[in-house]
Amino acid sequence: MPIVEFEGKEFSVDEDGFIDDYTNWAPEWVQWVKKEEGIEELNDEHQKVITVLREYYEKNGIAPMVRVLSKVTGFKLKHIYELFPSGPGKGACKMAGLPKPTGCV
Amino acid sequence: MAFVSSGYNPDKPMGDRITDIGPRHFEEFYPPVIKNNKGKWLYHEILEPGVYVHVSETGDEVYTVRVGGCRLMSVEHIREICEIADKHCGGYLRFTTRNNIEFMVDSKDKVKPLVDDLMSRKQDGGCYKFPVGGTGAGITNIIHTQGWIHCHTPATDASGPVKATMDVLFDDFRNMRLPAHLRVSLACCLNMCGAVHCSDIAILGYHRKPPMLDHEYLDKMCEIPLAISACPTAAIKPTKVKLDDGTEVKSVAVKNERCMFCGNCYTMCPSMPLADDVGDGIVIMAGGKVSNRISAPKFSKVVVAFLPNEAPRWPSTTSCIQKIVEAYANGARKYERLGEWAERIGWERFFEKCELEFTHHLIDDFRDPAYYTWRQTSNFKF
Repeated sequence: MPIVEFEGKEFSVDEDGFIDDYTNWAPEWVQWVKKEEGIEELNDEHQKVITVLREYYEKNGIAPMVRVLSKVTGFKLKHIYELFPSGPGKGACKMAGLPKPTGCV
Repeated sequence: MAFVSSGYNPDKPMGDRITDIGPRHFEEFYPPVIKNNKGKWLYHEILEPGVYVHVSETGDEVYTVRVGGCRLMSVEHIREICEIADKHCGGYLRFTTRNNIEFMVDSKDKVKPLVDDLMSRKQDGGCYKFPVGGTGAGITNIIHTQGWIHCHTPATDASGPVKATMDVLFDDFRNMRLPAHLRVSLACCLNMCGAVHCSDIAILGYHRKPPMLDHEYLDKMCEIPLAISACPTAAIKPTKVKLDDGTEVKSVAVKNERCMFCGNCYTMCPSMPLADDVGDGIVIMAGGKVSNRISAPKFSKVVVAFLPNEAPRWPSTTSCIQKIVEAYANGARKYERLGEWAERIGWERFFEKCELEFTHHLIDDFRDPAYYTWRQTSNFKF
């Protein structure tokens, strides 16, 4: 697996840039993905989505459905796309350190 | 070649971004004769296999020549298709829902040069590039999937078996001798992308071994609850596993005697691969249809439980399909689809006529509806 070095931290990632292990996540990872995903400025709303995703994953072992994410954060899907241009899966889940979405995607 | 930018600026990914424009409107690509007679067609006729004519109430005629397409095509091949369309059809063409190619001309004298040109073009290996056919009561193109070309869950290849099968059935692509049209489809796993569940004859990739478990990575790569709920027979349950180095990790356990090798868990969880070179193979299904003509649409039914993968020509699969097609061509009445024929003569006769072995694998055992597929009558033939 390729290793990403960023701000003194090392992250092992797959070919799509998802982190190898949820527990290896660190705040620096968010900054790295921000750069990769072309997000200009991280604000509280980004942070809220990431917190919700990480809390939900820790509690339930899965990423929340899009409707659950919308309802819990209060952000409509359109707004989530404004925050994360690649969308809730490729953008937000990657930044939150969740496993890569699977299925027929 | 070194990197050549299209003008996209990776530092400003949302700058000048165009989105949600949808496909081009189909009317932009109508040949003039289609545009002028849209909604005014009176009748049509199949003149010869692969060539048909539509006549409009304005008196206009459009002649269509249908040719087989391999579906997986290079740009070079598409360019050759465009070159033919430029030469004969004013630059217009279309693809059918079974991935054949149709060239349209507006007068009868343009048909023969077009057909002759199409049939004269061959690949270096000798295959027809544009075989004319696929109309009426024959066998048209095979709807198929990705196989080993591109997908990660297949149990067989797609392009390979399709080529082998169409070679065997080529005469029926060029002719219209069958009682009704016969649709063949292929899917390389039981996800059944495409039309295998509703085709006269269906080729389906099938596994015969349960998934292998990558305990070390499973919890890191997968959302375990999703893998558990992906299983139609509830063979998967969560568990904790001790690795060789003594660490305890979350993982899943598979009850092998409940597993029927559908591969759904691998779709959801990359740490549960199940492809196997000798375990994997092909299931043949028969008797499905989507049209409402005479009888209602039907699902296809499993008639051969397993045939091995025999790359590159899949001889047992192709000979089995040939046997079914011949038995159907000899036995069915005019307009009778394969499924209608099998239901009229009874499935026990179908197996006899097609010389297929009936095994216990073919008896439905999936949940309550399985009961309705058993015979609850004394009506049967010895």
